[in-house]
Amino acid sequence: MAELKIETTVNGRRIARRVDPSQRVLDFLRDDLHLTGTKEGCGAGECGTCSVFVDGVLVKSCLLPVAKVAGKTIDTIEGLAVSGEMSAVQKAFHKAGASQCGYCIPGMVMAATAALRLNPDADREEIKERLGGNICRCTGYQKIFDAVEMARDFLNGKLSATAFDELDAEDGKYIGVNVRRIDAPSKVTGALRYAGDMVLPNMLHVQVLRSPHPHARIVSIDVTDAEGLPGVEGIVTSVDVPGQDGFGVFVSDQPVMARDKVRYVGEPVVAIAAESLAQARRAIAKVRVEYEMLPAVFDPDEAMKEGAPIVHDYAPDNIVKHIPIRKGDIEAGFAQADLIVEQTYETQQVEHAYLETEAGLAYVDHDGVVTVHSPSQNITHHRHMLARILNLPINKVRMIMSPVGGGFGGKEDMIYQGMLALLTMKTRRPVRLVFTREESIATTAKRHPSRTSYKMGLTKDGRILASQVRIVYDGGAYGMSTEGVIRKGAILGGGPYNIPNIQIDTYGVYTNNTPSGAFRSFGSLQSQFATESHLDICAERLGIDPFELRLTNAMRKGDATHTKQPLKSSAMSDVLEAARTASRWEHGAPNIRGATRSDLAGEGTRPSCTLSPRAVAETPAPKLQHEKGAA
Amino acid sequence: MARKRGRGMAGGWYGIARTAAVDRAGTWVEIDDGGTVKVVTGVTEIGEGILTVLAQIAAEEIGVRPEDVVLGDNDTARSPEAAHAGATRQTYMLGNSVAMACREAKGRFVQAVAEMWSVDPDSIATGNGYVWAVDTNFRQSMAQAVEQIKKRGVVVVGSANFTAHHTGLDPVDGSGRPWQAYVFGCQVAEVEVDTVTGEVQVLGVWAAHDVGRAVNPRGVEGQIEGGIVQALGQGLMEDYKLAQGHTTTPGFAKYILPTSLDVPHVTSIIVEDRDPIGPLGVKGIGEPAMVPTIPAVMNAIYDAIGVRITSLPASPERILEALAKQRNPTISEIRSHS
Repeated sequence: MAELKIETTVNGRRIARRVDPSQRVLDFLRDDLHLTGTKEGCGAGECGTCSVFVDGVLVKSCLLPVAKVAGKTIDTIEGLAVSGEMSAVQKAFHKAGASQCGYCIPGMVMAATAALRLNPDADREEIKERLGGNICRCTGYQKIFDAVEMARDFLNGKLSATAFDELDAEDGKYIGVNVRRIDAPSKVTGALRYAGDMVLPNMLHVQVLRSPHPHARIVSIDVTDAEGLPGVEGIVTSVDVPGQDGFGVFVSDQPVMARDKVRYVGEPVVAIAAESLAQARRAIAKVRVEYEMLPAVFDPDEAMKEGAPIVHDYAPDNIVKHIPIRKGDIEAGFAQADLIVEQTYETQQVEHAYLETEAGLAYVDHDGVVTVHSPSQNITHHRHMLARILNLPINKVRMIMSPVGGGFGGKEDMIYQGMLALLTMKTRRPVRLVFTREESIATTAKRHPSRTSYKMGLTKDGRILASQVRIVYDGGAYGMSTEGVIRKGAILGGGPYNIPNIQIDTYGVYTNNTPSGAFRSFGSLQSQFATESHLDICAERLGIDPFELRLTNAMRKGDATHTKQPLKSSAMSDVLEAARTASRWEHGAPNIRGATRSDLAGEGTRPSCTLSPRAVAETPAPKLQHEKGAA
Repeated sequence: MARKRGRGMAGGWYGIARTAAVDRAGTWVEIDDGGTVKVVTGVTEIGEGILTVLAQIAAEEIGVRPEDVVLGDNDTARSPEAAHAGATRQTYMLGNSVAMACREAKGRFVQAVAEMWSVDPDSIATGNGYVWAVDTNFRQSMAQAVEQIKKRGVVVVGSANFTAHHTGLDPVDGSGRPWQAYVFGCQVAEVEVDTVTGEVQVLGVWAAHDVGRAVNPRGVEGQIEGGIVQALGQGLMEDYKLAQGHTTTPGFAKYILPTSLDVPHVTSIIVEDRDPIGPLGVKGIGEPAMVPTIPAVMNAIYDAIGVRITSLPASPERILEALAKQRNPTISEIRSHS
């Protein structure tokens, strides 16, 4: 391999190294210098987690070939804390609660530092623009803006250093107090190591060959050419599974790697461990899989029809689960109604887009315990499943939850830990797999798309007499959390309202789409979107204020839910009143009255976003001020 | 005017912890050397701030400061089962479990100190790293007290299991007790719609959420703000597309996420209707924060321009398509009979 000798200054230290010229600056920092505070979020310059300074200029290190930094000065997140003392921006992020999962935070701190160096007086709107190249999936950005403003004011002498201090709790009462996050210093300094940041001596790198077809029979898998390549240490397929091959939250329908057939594009088929990532990739390219195409089904309503392609033999109707809820007599309710409204609603597939892609590190320890570090949201359940899959006693399987760089339900299902366990058992060496962003998006679970048919009957004065709701959720190729998702969608689908007559049916359906899995709000986001949109339509038809309509029907303490459970308490009326008051809501029916409302553009709104004069004025790029700046 | 404003609102509710199944979480606690507290439970942080919440709870229950708490977690071979990091269950299940385990450890600590000082255990109080007997001059740092009771042969440990007694649903009519704690929320959204480009900006969201009891109010706000922005992504721009099973949106250049320029100002209103069952009164906020946002935004779009988006996302293309339909009155989106 060609080598290049470069000299750079990194965080104030002169460094001379021989490097692989195909490396990016990001790889050089992370792999060669072990500066793992700089994260890879997308590898395409789109998310900003890899932001560093090169000669003082904020750049995305995933876009920069390593040769470009020869003779230059690089500053990373690790270099911001001088002599171990956090910078003002880092302290402000800690104090303001600006970090959640923390994965975007090193890049965000670099961008914020750059923003204040370029304009020490930047206002909130300018701060937003200057952070526009850095994505955060957890915080909603508000606390990040707060932190940058706090740092700005400190640096300008408008805020004393004590503003960053912890508050004293009176009488030892810490519940109800804004204690600073105890994990924030590790996140704002880049010290926290996520699974993809961890290395072990003698570690192998894993790559996965995935299905290019939505539905196909596997005729043969030939790994002969791959096996002979330099650096290849282990290859596994479904034949290497020693125990019961199947995982899932409610039904164990998903093999660790495709068994006999593939059911979606991106399904793992072969996994290879090699001395280097490049060698593993080359080996993957040499595997030959012969497929026989099968008819595929992509629409859940089509999948429920007689004669549709069958995704799993155990479910010839393609139905994962049906959840019914019945209370009262809906026909009697509709018969008494003054108004009946029917409408359909649709929601799309959504990606979790946590900034940390899936990653894991596995090894067999000195006692023969198969150990997997991964950002798993459910180590208890994953241990159960893995022990069965590996045919090991449960105390010979150990799951360690590495820091989770965003989960939102997407790391609840066990999708790659099995492959790592098989490879480390086969090679007896530590193995690590880190998904690329494309792999993460294209092959892991999504929010269930849904189609809802809604029918509601009400009296003239706005009492709901009957609701009939039918929702079809596309579960994709495997069961995963689908049963739970459609159950929650059903239970909560009628909304927090007293409805004497209700009928809800939710269906989870197999298709050959990317599997759907757990995702924050778990099926109820879809059903309540329908309910709350529907109530707005009803309120307009009835000429009733939407708050009033909900207050009329709100569940109260002692009321029975749609599953006939008496509520021990209910704050529905309280939250309605609180939101109405705080937003200074102008009373009235929702009849397209935006043009005449008097409650718009007041406190609690931001200015409308336009291309700012700053953005126009700054072409070409502004002169750097960071040399004299104190940030 | 190409830019039109409007407002909408929506409510929502959510169940706390595992659905329609018994939920449980175990914790071990030791009041350790130096007056520190070791808390071991099976689940860790996914970004929501649970480690800080548990440190606050342990600190208040034992009588130390949050920085005196050491959390052991996240390892099936070293910590008791606390199940999973999801279902809006961590503050409720782990928080209550940690409080109960701390109470047991503290009870033993108080007993040992009372015996050492020959005072009534009921007279012993702790706080901020100190222990004292009321109306006496007995007062020590927790560090000193731990050292002395260890010399008397006592290692103070406690453990607890918190259970949520949920039942499955009846397979025919769905009746059952899927959760023991419910939370409620309501949000108002204010939007501006550009009728030329179809772009929707959400300028403000007012979010009132019942959380039972806020252990760390700033953390609760963080969950509300993050949930709203994630929902806004689904409501307005995010769309994972498949063509014959192959994605056409494999990167962030095609799969569009909300950035700092897309987000509204969020005003959070924390409502505390304490859970009557658990020892702390806490409930949760992670998932319910997202629930009302999308319909509130869609209702606001209707208020602004009179088109109702029933198929997500309300992308500029959909908005323009709906405005075109609005100009052609022969197309009716909504059927109703009265």
